[in-house]
Amino acid sequence: MKKYTLILLLLIAGFGTRAQTKEAVVKVSGEVTSPLTIGSADLQQYKQTTVIRKDRDGKDHTYSGVIVSDILTKAGVTLGSELRGENLAKFLLVEASDGYQVLFALAELDKGFTDRTIILADKIDGQPLAPADGPFRIIVQDEKKPARCIKQVTAMKVMFAK
Amino acid sequence: MKDNRQANYKLPLSLRKGKVCLILCLLLVVAGLTAYTGTEPTVPMGDYVFNYPANFGNRINVPANNPTTQQGVYLGRLLFYEPKLSATNTISCGSCHQQSKAFTDGKALSIGVNNGLATRNSMSLANLLWARKFFWDGRAASLEGQVAFPLTNPHEMGQPIEVSVQKLSNTKVYPGLFKIVYGDSTITGERIAKAIAQFERTLISANSRYDQYLRNVYQPTDDELKGMELFNRGADPEKGIRGANCTHCHGGPKTYLELFHNNGLDSISKDEGMAAFTGLVTDRGRFKVPTLRNIALTAPYMHDGRFKTLDEVVDHYSEHIKQSVSLSAFLQGESNEVGGKSLKLQPKEKKQLIAFLNMLTDSTFITDKRFADPHRSTKN
Repeated sequence: MKKYTLILLLLIAGFGTRAQTKEAVVKVSGEVTSPLTIGSADLQQYKQTTVIRKDRDGKDHTYSGVIVSDILTKAGVTLGSELRGENLAKFLLVEASDGYQVLFALAELDKGFTDRTIILADKIDGQPLAPADGPFRIIVQDEKKPARCIKQVTAMKVMFAK
Repeated sequence: MKDNRQANYKLPLSLRKGKVCLILCLLLVVAGLTAYTGTEPTVPMGDYVFNYPANFGNRINVPANNPTTQQGVYLGRLLFYEPKLSATNTISCGSCHQQSKAFTDGKALSIGVNNGLATRNSMSLANLLWARKFFWDGRAASLEGQVAFPLTNPHEMGQPIEVSVQKLSNTKVYPGLFKIVYGDSTITGERIAKAIAQFERTLISANSRYDQYLRNVYQPTDDELKGMELFNRGADPEKGIRGANCTHCHGGPKTYLELFHNNGLDSISKDEGMAAFTGLVTDRGRFKVPTLRNIALTAPYMHDGRFKTLDEVVDHYSEHIKQSVSLSAFLQGESNEVGGKSLKLQPKEKKQLIAFLNMLTDSTFITDKRFADPHRSTKN
């Protein structure tokens, strides 16, 4: 009987803490050759970059993370020399926990087309992003409105415009 | 020349009159015979054409394997209002989704066949054609997937699909209708769900006073206009701009953006919300931002029906947002006062906001006969 009680308690404890235990990740899918699931530790494996831009408080902040095209290249997305012809009709759809979606044409992300840096950030001024903003947020260098600096990113899908 | 033409024109007209009379008489005879001999209802056939304003946009969601047809919608409407789909033969989808209340039921939590309570507040069904995630926690990716849950949940209609299939198979009307819609008379759970989903997609609400205002055929009152301004503007006290920024989540002509947020109802939400399946602490108490269409008709409010009136809802956003790790970012530090911690709308502004919310009531939608219970006029 004690044994069953213990198992029951463990089960209840398991259910109770379930919500706290899962790690947030970004899933990279769609027109890719290798789908990726990126957690905080995975992001550290890429070359780190910083972008300075203003937040809602009107002040400059230093965001650090990984250039989005580096992640997409690892997933086998048609960037660089392959970004021509019909591949220019592809876009990246970024999704957040709240269901918000924004998109970038692949050409907006490719350094052959633009010097503007777009990163998947995980830190602001050296600290992890606030829970309501992170753990992953897109930061678009120099874009006037912050609307595409999408917070709480959960997925990046590469798709063809139909 | 002119006179001749008139004469030529008159002659066929009198002939036509005769023909019209003859055709009318024949039609009456046919109609009379049909009424006398036929018990089968006339089922409209063909593709169903959705009519909606251009400003609603065309990002509609109809699965490729369930195209909307007039016959499918006809069947779906019968099933939506079919109490045989419940364990007690007393509850249909229409019991908790009543047209007069914009397809809600006025209760905090609906009562199911076992007299138990549903877990969350009955959601308004309007403009689902544009929705891509269903339920308060968005866990279903299609209406077809959503339908199965309330049919079988013990606290809702509480009947296994196989029993529903059996009951419908034993009726006179349903096997024939399934044949018309699906090509053969086999009734399955999937086919039931598909037909109900087809009907639900036709529930388009697009004729509120707000829609009429957007079409330039309604002039709002001063309060409605000021309420609309507050609704659409974010507060910026340093520039002297007052606002409630409702549009951040409820914006656009549909007043629906398919977002999911923790709106600060509790410090620790009793209901896990989306966290139940994402496992993320930041998804705790995160729920669907519902449509505001017909919002004056769909009390009580929130996922648990805790607020009885729109005044209570507006008071919540103005003064009672609870901080937590899951609280959505846009609700943090939004205020009409410099350095303020909450929105702080004035009593007059709250009234104006509610005047605007009342503009979203679509009386055409709640009285549209195409959406009403067909069993009252159709033999079954």
